[in-house]
Amino acid sequence: MTTIERSAVRPDLADPATYDAGIPHEAFATLRATPGLVRNPDGPWGSGFWSVTRLDDLVAVSRDTTTFSSAVGHIQIYDVDEDVRDARASMIDLDPPIHTRLRRLVSSAFTPKHVQDYVGDVRRRIGDRLDALEAAGGGDWVAEVAAPIPIGVICALMGVPESDHDLMIEMTDHLVEGTSSAELDPGAYGNTKPLRELPFNSPAAFGVEEYARRARRDRLAEPRDDLLTQLAVAEVDGERLSETEYARFFQLMIFAGNETTRSAMAHLATHLMDHADEFDRVRADGDLLDGAVEEVVRHASPILYFRRTAMADTVLAGTEVAAGDKVVMWYASANFDEAHFADPLAFDVGRPRVPGHVAFGGGGAHFCLGASLARIELAELVAEVLRRGLRLRPAGEVETVSSNFVNGVARLPVEVSR
Amino acid sequence: MGGDPTGDGSERVAMVVDEDRCIGIGQCELLEPDVFRLGDEDAISRVVDGADLPRARALELVDRCPSGAISIADA
Ligand code: HEM
Ligand code: SF4
Repeated sequence: MTTIERSAVRPDLADPATYDAGIPHEAFATLRATPGLVRNPDGPWGSGFWSVTRLDDLVAVSRDTTTFSSAVGHIQIYDVDEDVRDARASMIDLDPPIHTRLRRLVSSAFTPKHVQDYVGDVRRRIGDRLDALEAAGGGDWVAEVAAPIPIGVICALMGVPESDHDLMIEMTDHLVEGTSSAELDPGAYGNTKPLRELPFNSPAAFGVEEYARRARRDRLAEPRDDLLTQLAVAEVDGERLSETEYARFFQLMIFAGNETTRSAMAHLATHLMDHADEFDRVRADGDLLDGAVEEVVRHASPILYFRRTAMADTVLAGTEVAAGDKVVMWYASANFDEAHFADPLAFDVGRPRVPGHVAFGGGGAHFCLGASLARIELAELVAEVLRRGLRLRPAGEVETVSSNFVNGVARLPVEVSR
Repeated sequence: MGGDPTGDGSERVAMVVDEDRCIGIGQCELLEPDVFRLGDEDAISRVVDGADLPRARALELVDRCPSGAISIADA
């Protein structure tokens, strides 16, 4: 048995401060070079876990939903009580077959073919935001571009009216803070629930939930041609989603489709400034556009990890894993696995497409529902920046989101000119 | 592996989609639109009647389906 007890693993991968300066590449490289799985010790957030840091091991965990469950335990590092988990569960916290039955309620809206229908809306939003940023000579790239575009796109896609988009941005901003050290008044957004019962322990999650309940009642009373209506009338095994199930579904799509794409767009700005030469290649050869998008997403690794829980004793990478153990898939490490990516820290828009990165997940039932949507948003943004010949320059201090879960950027001041 | 007389992956093989595993990502249809079609309503991938692919390409498709729903129909 090759259980390597390393209680002295530094840094603690569960500590949000570990990510304050971005992805801890050196620490991950050390873990990848260590045979077997490395155990992160117990902490104030709960019991320890196995860190999966190499791409092949990660894919093996991700695709085996029978051995590695999303429904038992929690998909984040910290422990939650069973009642709390049940109170929060959406399809991302469920295993097949019920997971997949739920997912099919919306999957047709997110296929590569279907997302082409949204390109017009995506372009309009990108155009408007870049017009405003250019007119002002610059501004906070996150507030002006990276935040409003993804939330606008996902809200429009679902049928949330434009007038509510700002409220959605505000609430989802707070959701992210729930995984960090920032504090929010527990009673915010009319919250009446104990925080531990809310996703991200955030009262803003209550706000999003209430919004969804209202939307469902409105759509049932007055159906429209939108995803919110489709989800309200759809049936799983002959039954409609309950109000609570509906609210959690909505919450998941709003959160999953928002902060992640925002993070990728924020990191895009940094790469535009640091690797202008790589984007000159894309301008010269449009065939490199998709490669540029994948490289931005790989480097951003907007979600650092998801966790699974072992359902049976098993051996992974030569390490014995016991039933009940937490197994954490570090996307932010596997995406820089030197066994798969030559010179992994380099930003290279011409990398081979196979094998791909795992920023959208390592495959299996939970592979990112919005991957095709995120890709067209990023591709359209890169294309428009290049078409306009925009030059970005740093114009102040960059603030990152303090979190052990998302690789977020809170503020990124830039100057813009042609 | 099944019969591959030429041994260079050019032999044509049929493919199957496990409809219970498919999560409708549409990677298959994007790569091989003449072989895979997603249902308009259910977004479940189905193999077009009689369609086949060279074994090497088929193996790549198996690999690139995120949910592991595609396999080669080895007789
Ligand atoms: C660059 C942007 C994005 C990144 C990096 C990203 C990443 C991820 C990851 C890592 C997962 C978990 C995969 C797994 O467990 O195997 C996931 C799941 C998910 N994503 Fe994304 N995502 C992005 C954009 C979006 C968008 C635009 C949507 C819009 C709807 C979305 C909706 C979802 C949903 C609903 C799930 C849960 C799927 C399930 O449990 O079956 N994501 N995403
Ligand atoms: S790539 Fe796989 S999961 Fe996606 S539609 Fe095709 S068969 Fe289904």
